[in-house]
Amino acid sequence: MISEEKLKILTESAKYDVSCSSSGSGRKNGGGMGNGYFSGCCHSFTPDGRCISLLKILLSNDCVFNCKYCMSRSDCDVPRATATPEEICELVVDFYKRNYIEGLFLSSAVHRSPDYAMEQLLLTVKKLRTEYGFYGYIHLKGIPHADERIVHEAALYADRMSYNIELPTEKSLKLLAPQKSRESVLLPMKQLQRERDLFRAEKRKGRFLPAGQTTQLIVGASPERDGQILRLAQGLYRGAGLKRVYFSSYVPVVHDALLPDRPAGELREHRLYQADWLLRFYGFSAEEIVENDGDLPLDLDPKCAWALRNMQFFPVEVNSAPAETLLRVPGIGTRSAQKILDARKYTRLGFDALKKMRVVLKRARHFITANGKFYGSGDETAVRGLLAAGEGQPVQLSLFENEAARSALTGEL
Amino acid sequence: MIYFYDGSADAFLTAFLLAYPDEDATLTSGGKQLAIGQETAFVRADPARAEAARKRLEQLDKNCMHDLDMLLRSGDHTRDMVAFNYFKLIATRGCPVRKMLAEDAVIAAEECIRRVEFEIHRFHGFLRFMESASGALYAPVSPDNDICDLLVPHFRARLPRFPFVIHDVRRKKAAVYDGENVFLAPLEHAEVALTADETAWQNLWKKYYKSVNIPSRERLKQMRGYMPVRYWKFMPEKKDG
Ligand code: SF4
Repeated sequence: MISEEKLKILTESAKYDVSCSSSGSGRKNGGGMGNGYFSGCCHSFTPDGRCISLLKILLSNDCVFNCKYCMSRSDCDVPRATATPEEICELVVDFYKRNYIEGLFLSSAVHRSPDYAMEQLLLTVKKLRTEYGFYGYIHLKGIPHADERIVHEAALYADRMSYNIELPTEKSLKLLAPQKSRESVLLPMKQLQRERDLFRAEKRKGRFLPAGQTTQLIVGASPERDGQILRLAQGLYRGAGLKRVYFSSYVPVVHDALLPDRPAGELREHRLYQADWLLRFYGFSAEEIVENDGDLPLDLDPKCAWALRNMQFFPVEVNSAPAETLLRVPGIGTRSAQKILDARKYTRLGFDALKKMRVVLKRARHFITANGKFYGSGDETAVRGLLAAGEGQPVQLSLFENEAARSALTGEL
Repeated sequence: MIYFYDGSADAFLTAFLLAYPDEDATLTSGGKQLAIGQETAFVRADPARAEAARKRLEQLDKNCMHDLDMLLRSGDHTRDMVAFNYFKLIATRGCPVRKMLAEDAVIAAEECIRRVEFEIHRFHGFLRFMESASGALYAPVSPDNDICDLLVPHFRARLPRFPFVIHDVRRKKAAVYDGENVFLAPLEHAEVALTADETAWQNLWKKYYKSVNIPSRERLKQMRGYMPVRYWKFMPEKKDG
C-alpha cells in the first residue's frame, strides 16, 4: 500500500491540472472491475468547489526539465517521490471498488528521461488493464519528446490522452519551458489523431482513445490576449479534433523574475470558459466573440457582449425563432432553448408561460418578444447597465463537465 | 373528497379511477391533516381494477408507467397530487403529454421526476462502499427519494464479481446483489465486520481529498451546492467535519 506521505506529494504536484472529466467513454466491463460512464460522474467535491471524478496523480514528481511555472521543476527544492506501477494500480482498484473514483488520471514529471517516464506510464496502465482487469476510465497525460512507439502503445490502454500546450505561443514556451517545444507537444497529438482516425476508418476491434484528446492552456503566465487564445482553441477543435481545451488561470507556486507574482484573475478564466462554450455548443466562431488582439470584457459575459454589439438581430420572437437563433439570446441556454422548442408545438408562449417553465428571463427579456410582446428595455445603455449589474460570483465553468452540468447550474449563457 | 392510499402503484391506480371524475379530489399517501368537514375515503389496492387502469393509460402513453414509478418514489410530500394531476391530463388529452411543457401539471411532474433521477445520478457518485471481511461491499445511504433498488444496475454492471448491499437506513430496507441475483429486503440494522485494511484505505482517501484541494480558492458555498451536507454522513472524506 502506498504511504500517505507519498500520496500527498504526488497528488499535490498533480492538482493544478484542471481536467478531471471522466466522460466520453462507454468502455464495457469485460469481466474484471469497472466500466465507462459516458456522461461522466462526480464522486466528491473539494472545498475549492471542484469535482473529484478521477484519481489525479503523478507517477513521479522528480523532473529533469525546468519549466519556470512548475514546482516539480529540477531546480526547485521540494520533496520528491516516485510511485511504483503496482502502488498506483492497487490504489486505483481499491478506491474504485469503494466508489471513491471513476478512474485514473495519470501523469508524470519527466523522470530520468522522456522515454523512461513515458515507459513507466505505459507499464502502469498496461498492468492496470491486463493484470488487474480494470475497465474503468483512464486518462493519460503524454510526455513531450517521448518515442512515438511508446506513445502509440500507451494509447491502446487509455480512454483519453492529453498533451498540454500550456503556453499559447512558441515564444512564451521558449521563455518559460525551455526544454519543451511546440513540436514536442503538437506532433504526438497529431500522431494520435491520425491513428485514431485510422482505427475508426478500418473499424478495428477494441478501442483506441474512445474519449479522444484534450489539452490545457495556462492563462496569465504569459502576455497572450484572449483573442489569440480562443483562436488557438478553435483551431484545435476544428483542425486537431480535440474534445476539450482547458484553461488554467495561472497560480504562482514558484517565484521567478519571468513570471507574474499575482495569480491571473479567476474571472478571466471564467470568461474564457464561457466563450469556449459558445464555440462548442452555441454555434459561435472565435471571430464573432473577440478580436485577435483583444480580451473578453470582464463586466459582461461574452454572449451578452456579442448581443449588445449586434442589436440589429433582436428582439427575436420565441414562438418562431429557429433553434440557432434562440441559442444566441443572452440567458437562453441549450436546455431552455429545447424546452421552448418542445412547448411551442402545443401552445403559443407568452411571458407567463416562459416564467412558469423556469426560463430565466432576467437577461433574455431584453432580447425577445413572446407572442409579439416585449418586456425589456429598448435603451442600449440601460440594458448594458442592467446586464452587468448583479452578476454573482463567477461559478467555475471549468467544472462544467457533463457531470456537473447535470446539476442545477446548467451553464445557461 | 380526500382519498387516502398506501403509496403503491396499484393503490394509486385504484384511487385514480375513483377520483378522476371528482372535481374536488385530493389524493394523499402521507399523514396529511384532515380538513374538517371534508369527506374521506380510504382506498385499498384492487389489483384487477389497477391492471385495467394501467392497460388503458398505457394505450394513451406507453411510457407513462415509468413516470408513475418515478413519481411515487419521490420523497416530496406533493407527489400524490403531482402524479394525480399528471395522469388526469393524460386521460383528458388522450395522448402523451410530457412535452407540453407550458402545462402546470407537466411542469410539476417533470420537475418531480427530474429530482428523483438526479438523485440517482448523484448517488452513482456519492455512494461509498466499505469492504467487509467476507469481501462483500456494504453501502449505507439515506436518500431523499426511495431509490436504493434503482442504484443496483449501475454498480452491478461495473462490479459484477462483488456481492454488495445498498442499505437505505431511513426506509430500513436494502437492495442486495449476491453475485448473481438482485433482491430487496427489509433491513433494520446491519452489523458489518470490516476487512483489516478498510480503515487504511479510508485514511488514504481522506489524505487524497485533502491534498487535491486548492485552499487559496476556497468556495464552500459552491461545494455545498454540488454536494449537499445531508449526503455527507456516509462519505469518509466528509463525515468528520
Ligand atoms: S516537464 Fe515541466 S511542467 Fe512537467 S513536471 Fe517537469 S518541470 Fe513541471
